[in-house]
Amino acid sequence: MAPKPSNYAVLEAVQHEMRNDPHMTMLYEYQRPVAVSPMGNVIDLYKEFGDLRIPDWGPIDEEWHVGGAAGIAMTGVRAIARVPSMCTLRCFELVFNQVGKLRHMTGGQVSMPLVIWQDAAGRKAGSAGQHADAGQEALYASIPGIKVVVPSNPYDAKGLMTSALRDEDPVIFFHYPSIDGISIDVPDEAYTVPIGEAAIRQEGTDLTIVGFGPAAVEIQNAIPGLKEAGISAEIIDPRSLKPLPIDAITTSVRKTGKLLVVDHGHETLGTASEIIARVAMAVPGAKLARSTFPDAPPPGAREMISWMTPDAPKVVEASRKLVA
Amino acid sequence: MLEEPRETVRTEEEVRVKPKRRAVSRRSFLKFVGATGAATAAISQVNIAAAGNGWTLGLDQIPEDKLVNMYTLMLRSRWWEETMKETFLAGKDGLYGAFHISIGEEASSVGVMSALNEDDYIASNHRGHSHLIAKGGDINKMSAELFFRETGYNKGFGGSMHITDVTKGILGMNGIIGPQYLLAAGAAYSAKVRGTKQVAVAFGGDGSVNNGWYYSGLRNAALYKLPLIAVVENNGYQMSMPQHRTNNLVNLHDFGAGLDIAHEAVNGMDVVAVYAVARRAVERARAGEGPTLIETKTYRYYDHSGLAGAKPGVLGSFGLPYRSDSEVRAWIAEDPIPRLRRQLVANSVLTEEQADEIEQKVKAEVNQSIEHARGAPPPKEDAALQNVFAGMAVPASQFIG
Repeated sequence: MAPKPSNYAVLEAVQHEMRNDPHMTMLYEYQRPVAVSPMGNVIDLYKEFGDLRIPDWGPIDEEWHVGGAAGIAMTGVRAIARVPSMCTLRCFELVFNQVGKLRHMTGGQVSMPLVIWQDAAGRKAGSAGQHADAGQEALYASIPGIKVVVPSNPYDAKGLMTSALRDEDPVIFFHYPSIDGISIDVPDEAYTVPIGEAAIRQEGTDLTIVGFGPAAVEIQNAIPGLKEAGISAEIIDPRSLKPLPIDAITTSVRKTGKLLVVDHGHETLGTASEIIARVAMAVPGAKLARSTFPDAPPPGAREMISWMTPDAPKVVEASRKLVA
Repeated sequence: MLEEPRETVRTEEEVRVKPKRRAVSRRSFLKFVGATGAATAAISQVNIAAAGNGWTLGLDQIPEDKLVNMYTLMLRSRWWEETMKETFLAGKDGLYGAFHISIGEEASSVGVMSALNEDDYIASNHRGHSHLIAKGGDINKMSAELFFRETGYNKGFGGSMHITDVTKGILGMNGIIGPQYLLAAGAAYSAKVRGTKQVAVAFGGDGSVNNGWYYSGLRNAALYKLPLIAVVENNGYQMSMPQHRTNNLVNLHDFGAGLDIAHEAVNGMDVVAVYAVARRAVERARAGEGPTLIETKTYRYYDHSGLAGAKPGVLGSFGLPYRSDSEVRAWIAEDPIPRLRRQLVANSVLTEEQADEIEQKVKAEVNQSIEHARGAPPPKEDAALQNVFAGMAVPASQFIG
């Protein structure tokens, strides 16, 4: 057990499941499934499982990776489609009209043991416009029949990937690179983090702060600042958006009476909107606020995108206002 | 007996199709069928097993029970859809929902499916009733699904356009144009990973070749040498738009040349010819030689969707604004079912009486399936919340409190 980068941790999960399932197949095009641990251990799925189950450097064709993997999954063979960060929505129509609907539309006949591994970009300076996005998980979570998970550290990433690979339903796994900002021990052996289960990162009494994925990293980074400000925050990471573990959040807000949702997605109809709507209905009188990326595409200049992104200082500032 | 063709001779004047952009398309299309039709008529009289040109087979090269099965399947599909059409038109059962009739295209379905094994896969489209029946679909469950009953294939969740039977390798009809090429290529990939000899067949119309998933499915099947067979059932119209208005290609299978895969056209009104071509494609696929693109030149006797121009007791829709009635009659004159019947009788595979008996039996089965559907219960309302995820219902969010 040692801290590991998330890519290595996730590949450990995939490697373990592929060793137990002689047919599990991954289609991908961009991020070669190779990773090195800080101890120097190498995982190379292509080398280990061969060109058929890990077709090396597939064509730049996200519709194939997702549509082909869906066809593989329909035959009862578990499949992973890994999608690069600038194209997280190219397969959206296939997910909406095929992957998410087939079980229901066929009266329960079709199972879709499919994991769509989205290598999301996240907010970062320099990438500009098409390579610094976040929040697309909310679009997928709005589709019936799709489970959506967004880990915020390498431990959860490995455990959620294992759960996803053992699920009977399609799971979209959003993997943001900034989650490597949290250093955490990752066991070598396989384990699961259940889909639909929140993590309470810190208990507190003044307010509840909710965030997932890259926003959860910023909330984690805000802990010293919150402490300095004398704020006792209860910090919750839902980890799954569908199913959304809303009970953990409402229970907390009943206790604190205040909720701040932090989201690197956009303001309108994002995950923060959904969480706030549900808490508003469940906890009358609660004070509710959100900090999201504005309804604008990500600009390239550091000055602009840093100012737009809900980061640790903004979390502290918003919490101050909310408890004042 | 099916209604006899009204016209057996077709003249150039009767083929009054005036494409604005290019004169070659429809005419050459009909000529193609005319030529092969004449050849098939000759074959039905004389067994030419040694013809050797490869586009069809002598009947003595096909086991008799398979031939009889082809005839039965085409009739079952024809009468199931005809009877369902009559039921829609009569209105007594209050049928509703999508209904895309494949009548006229049965030889394409049955010819291809006759070359498959039970565990091979098919991914069908919106016009897939005949694909299902040809792959061994249960017409009782199909009828019940068109009535949206609990005993239907999809338990009332799907209706006509989405019928699926994974136990028979039927990955489903599909209401979206194009995904079948990706899904079937995926199924073919799965067969390769598992080391089986299964093949997967994608069915689409001439409209389905116009979107990117067609390219993606075929291109990747070519790249990985997948056991995929893409069957483009070219009925000449993408909904009401003639082929020459939607595609620069005259022969759609020529697209395969650019992918460097096997590709050929076949008279889709001749089940034996389709079978011959499909069998070759299946052999190629099972031998690991990669995909084949087959274009079956065929025709739908009815409208794209629904029953415009359809009348009780009349085969085909007439008076539609985008095609001439004489064109419809010209194709009905090439009807695949009487053609096979003539061949079977001429080759002493069946007597006229036996052929009649099969038809009567099929009609009785079909009527029984409709009766079954009428008597079956509708689904429970709240079943709609099931089957979104395995073993987990979604909340009934339409109610408050």
